[in-house]
Amino acid sequence: MPDPDAFDPISLEIHWSRLISIADEAATGLLRTAFSTIVRESNDFATVLMDSNGDSVSENTGGIASFSCILPKTTKTFLERFPAETWRPGDCVITNDPWLATGHLPDFTAVTPIFAKGVLVGFAGSISHSPDVGGSLWSADCRELFEEGIRIPPSRLYREGKRNDDLVEVLLSNVRVPRQVMGDLEAQVVANQVCAAGVAEFLADTGLPNLQGLSTALSKRTDAAMRRAIAALPDGTWRSVIEADGFDEAITRIACEVTIRGDTMHIDYAGTSPQVDRGINCVMNYTHAYSVYPVKCALDPFTPRNEGSYRAIAVAAPEGSILNPRFPAPCSARQLTGHLLAGAIYKALAPVMPDRIIAECGGAPTMRALFSGMDREGDRFSQVLFASGGMGASPHRDGLPTTAFPTNVGAGSIEAYESVAPLVVWKKQLLPDSGGAGKFRGGLGQEVEIEVRAPEAVRLSLLSDRRDHPAQGVLGGGPGAASVIELADGTRPHPKSRTTVATGARLRLHYAGGGGYGDPAERDPAALSEDIRNGYVTPEGAARDYGGRHDRG
Amino acid sequence: MTATARIGVDVGGTFTDFVLHDPARNLVATGKRLTTPDDPSEAIVGGIARLLEETGLPPGALHSVVHGTTLVTNTIIERTGCKVGLLTTEGFRDSIEIGKETRYDLYDLFLEAPPTLVPRHLRLEVPGRLDIHGEELKPLDEAAVRRNADALVAEGVEAIAIGFMHAWRDARHEKRAAEIVRAAHPGIALTLSSAVAPEIREFERISTACANAYVQPRMLRYLDRLEARLATLGVTGALYVMLSGGGIASVQEAKDFPIRLIESGPAAGAMAASWLARQAGLEHVVSYDMGGTTAKMCLIENGAPDRKFEFEAGRVRRFQKGSGLPLKVSVVDMIEIGAGGGSIARVEEGSGLMKVGPRSAGAKPGPICYGRGGTEPTVTDSDLVLGRLDPAYFLGGEMALDLDAVKRAVTDRLATALHVTPDDAALGIRRIVDETMAAATRMHLAEKGRDPRRYTLIAFGGAGPVHACELARLLKMQRVVVPLGAGVASALGFLVAPPATDLVRSLVGRLERLDWGKVAALYAEMAEEARTLLTGAGADPATIAFRPAADMRYVGQGFEIPVPLPTMTPTAADLPAIRESFLAAYRERFGRALEDLPVEALTWRLAAAAPGRDIDMKGANVVEGRVAERGTRRALFETAGWQDCAVIDRYALAPGATFAGPALVEERESTCAVPPGATVTVDAFRNLVIDLPTPQEATT
Repeated sequence: MPDPDAFDPISLEIHWSRLISIADEAATGLLRTAFSTIVRESNDFATVLMDSNGDSVSENTGGIASFSCILPKTTKTFLERFPAETWRPGDCVITNDPWLATGHLPDFTAVTPIFAKGVLVGFAGSISHSPDVGGSLWSADCRELFEEGIRIPPSRLYREGKRNDDLVEVLLSNVRVPRQVMGDLEAQVVANQVCAAGVAEFLADTGLPNLQGLSTALSKRTDAAMRRAIAALPDGTWRSVIEADGFDEAITRIACEVTIRGDTMHIDYAGTSPQVDRGINCVMNYTHAYSVYPVKCALDPFTPRNEGSYRAIAVAAPEGSILNPRFPAPCSARQLTGHLLAGAIYKALAPVMPDRIIAECGGAPTMRALFSGMDREGDRFSQVLFASGGMGASPHRDGLPTTAFPTNVGAGSIEAYESVAPLVVWKKQLLPDSGGAGKFRGGLGQEVEIEVRAPEAVRLSLLSDRRDHPAQGVLGGGPGAASVIELADGTRPHPKSRTTVATGARLRLHYAGGGGYGDPAERDPAALSEDIRNGYVTPEGAARDYGGRHDRG
Repeated sequence: MTATARIGVDVGGTFTDFVLHDPARNLVATGKRLTTPDDPSEAIVGGIARLLEETGLPPGALHSVVHGTTLVTNTIIERTGCKVGLLTTEGFRDSIEIGKETRYDLYDLFLEAPPTLVPRHLRLEVPGRLDIHGEELKPLDEAAVRRNADALVAEGVEAIAIGFMHAWRDARHEKRAAEIVRAAHPGIALTLSSAVAPEIREFERISTACANAYVQPRMLRYLDRLEARLATLGVTGALYVMLSGGGIASVQEAKDFPIRLIESGPAAGAMAASWLARQAGLEHVVSYDMGGTTAKMCLIENGAPDRKFEFEAGRVRRFQKGSGLPLKVSVVDMIEIGAGGGSIARVEEGSGLMKVGPRSAGAKPGPICYGRGGTEPTVTDSDLVLGRLDPAYFLGGEMALDLDAVKRAVTDRLATALHVTPDDAALGIRRIVDETMAAATRMHLAEKGRDPRRYTLIAFGGAGPVHACELARLLKMQRVVVPLGAGVASALGFLVAPPATDLVRSLVGRLERLDWGKVAALYAEMAEEARTLLTGAGADPATIAFRPAADMRYVGQGFEIPVPLPTMTPTAADLPAIRESFLAAYRERFGRALEDLPVEALTWRLAAAAPGRDIDMKGANVVEGRVAERGTRRALFETAGWQDCAVIDRYALAPGATFAGPALVEERESTCAVPPGATVTVDAFRNLVIDLPTPQEATT
């Protein structure tokens, strides 16, 4: 192995940017060949280049941050099952096991070995949200994992270039749209091949025998960058507790304790709610990923990521808790819990680093409405309406309206949505007064009104929270508006369940606003006047939240 | 005397460039003057007058003036457009503000959204709704249109945009609303989303309408003034403009849809490179234009640049995708990255590694070597240390460069912190910026499923020829072509571009269920419109070539690809051929296709173009400068180390000349660095054709 210290800072920069660009090219391969809209329109995927230990060397720039954090862990479990010497060129191993991978069945992880001159030098990995995994579509109300879909343990999809047709047949016999499912898996294989070919070319160009020395040198850099940022904070322990709706009576309580000692950080969730028998349990991999990501954003946002980025941060959650459930707990909607962690960590750290954090987000967790049924031509449709609540305010500016954090799932066009589903959206508009009051205002949520125009009733699966627990403000900021889901007749469907909606019915959704930052009394009067002029805040809302000190003129 | 001479004018941020071609004498002449930002027509008319005088042409001998401008893009970047009001569908007032709901930077908690061009209080709603098929779900509330238009005018708006849901499918509500507004307020500038960008997806379409309205009054004033000034000068020839897609258009089209000029200037460079590629017989080309702040790369296949139908303007972060306003306009598909002569090198605090760009020293203070107060080492500074540039002879000797100051800064700010020698630090700047450009090019080609090894690099711009051979080597390209006059090459694009336009209509449906009669009718309508537009741009209607294409996808996919159509009058009988065309396009792009999934079409496009002009560079009488013979200069190459390089006067090279690297070929605005092992031939058009050593023989 070449001495990791042998790389000068210029060559390291050049090699690193080349390896990031290889991961990006793999992502391009995946994005352009995938069939599922969820991958294309919502970036629900990641590609990672790993060394021969399964440690991440580089990650694609635009994918889901938590995925790239989890992929190396999954690869290491693959290596336990299939030791390094058993891998052959042309292999590809997949799984969607929530505990080994990304926390719910719809995500497939695929890993391909990279060989150079006949020697295993690393792994190319990708994760992508599959169009279907059978079971209950995407829902939060299953009682066991087994209802949620088919589970594929780590298995060879390809062995030396030959497809495992038995595995494929078992999988495809259990899903609703087999061609698309297979198409997307093949897209992941393509992406991994792009990555593997890029690495082989890179090694040939640079004359390096393998990635190990480089990987070590790069992770030392990222580790040092994170440690330097942590060390700049005072030592101590800070705590927070946040709550969310959970499922029915079982309110989700997240207890978070962050300890900073020297250049390390320890995040512990002791005291958090126990696991529940509904699909909002969040496996440890996901808990870890959504704990370290917000820390990275706050402390070291600009250094690219790899294995070293998170070495200084330890995360623990009690086994059997909602943040570390035991198999086979249902976990399809694990994001409804995992997305809350950023808010808990920022709340705990607010006194230590008030200028680096944001208030809770209305879009954490995301709110999803999935409609499925038959359209007027008799074709089956199944469409998620992507839309977000408001982002929490920061010490520097108002929260972004209708933008998700910690996830980054965007929204598509309503015209395009109406072209693929027999639904008419009558309204999709910012929700006035929904941003939490503060020196800086929380981002506004939005109101969406949808009419069902299918020939028959359609199925609706809801995955939402923040009905009773709106996003809280921070350091004196007020809460954002809560989420609302109701039909025109005033009935309110269960926010985490599957229901049937009659044709002609109109569903109204309020996406929650973000929390405010700092004391509303400190808000710049000109900013408040501008908010009123543009209707982001109503005069009544201003009187209520800002004490009527604005200029009504 | 028939008026045949033509002038191309490129109004840039700092300079306005001119190029004149007089076919009668086969004369090519160029000029440059400082842009007059308050009234760009002043510099234009001054420059034209001078060029006419220098070449001895009377103003009446000008056939036409072709014009490209950054006015539109700058108006959006600087937010100096007019006050716009938007009339939109009830329930959708905020679609231009809600946008795509994504963060363009995953790790920045404090990012800023691009501000909308129309603030919320000037966006008013009107009841009325069509569905996806154009059926009326709710009639247009005409009284509300009138009332809201009155309110906007009372607020003092100068222009009104109308953007209704599904107007891409059926424009009747927008058209009716426009009649009502025009009747009540005849003077107001009006943009309809269905006219400027009749494409599905409300955010992009309505944003485009707002942007058009935002820049229109300013462009109208500017173009009127320019026409008047040219008339005063005695120019009787026509004034044309360069569209973002690389076509020449009439001033009227520019006045109606000024947003189509958003990439007017950069398009000229791509058109020039396309023309060079056609002339030199190169089928697969990447054009590479590197200036002071950015590098632009464009794929040119068979003599024409790739185009795309969306563009992001006014980015909050210039090189960050997603941080700007999306526009549905036809543009030359090029990538622009923050890598130029002025890009700044620094040691990053977190990682301790060296980074170059995208921050640029620009023209002020500029690189350290300019001696205008720059303190941070830039790419140009490293080119100087590495011997690529001559400290005594920059810009033809007009500017002396301060090598010692550069060496000090490279040592103090980079080499010491990185524990490397100053030479290695300077070389590092070059290696990093070259790798950045290579990575971006690879990615651009990868998105199109192309392999860079098959391509020839055509390099221009002040810094392009300096870095071209290294960039080509990183991309494993074999050949680099450098045209004569790096600073002029781009402006030639105005004179060789064809009158051309792109039209679009939307109609969504699965192929097997489409009403092909409707599709054929859309094409008939577009062809008629194209004939009118191109005739206005000086084309002979009989010579117009039409290329129909459609944006298609598998049903359920979120992403469309452009698919060429076999005919403009499709019927159900063409269905198998159209389907096969989709599969072929899909395979070409992605390497595979699923045979048996249903396919749908969304958008129907028609590219119409008349033949472009040619300039015969063989034996062209080019009015040019001179560089002094300087013997040899030492330059540092990555693995070959310091080499004595022959310094060659570009203007003295005649067609057929050959020589080998290492060499430095100098012309007034640029230097071409030829590495050891490369061989250079001067072709019949006076291009430098550089064949790079294959990797085995490479010694750089």
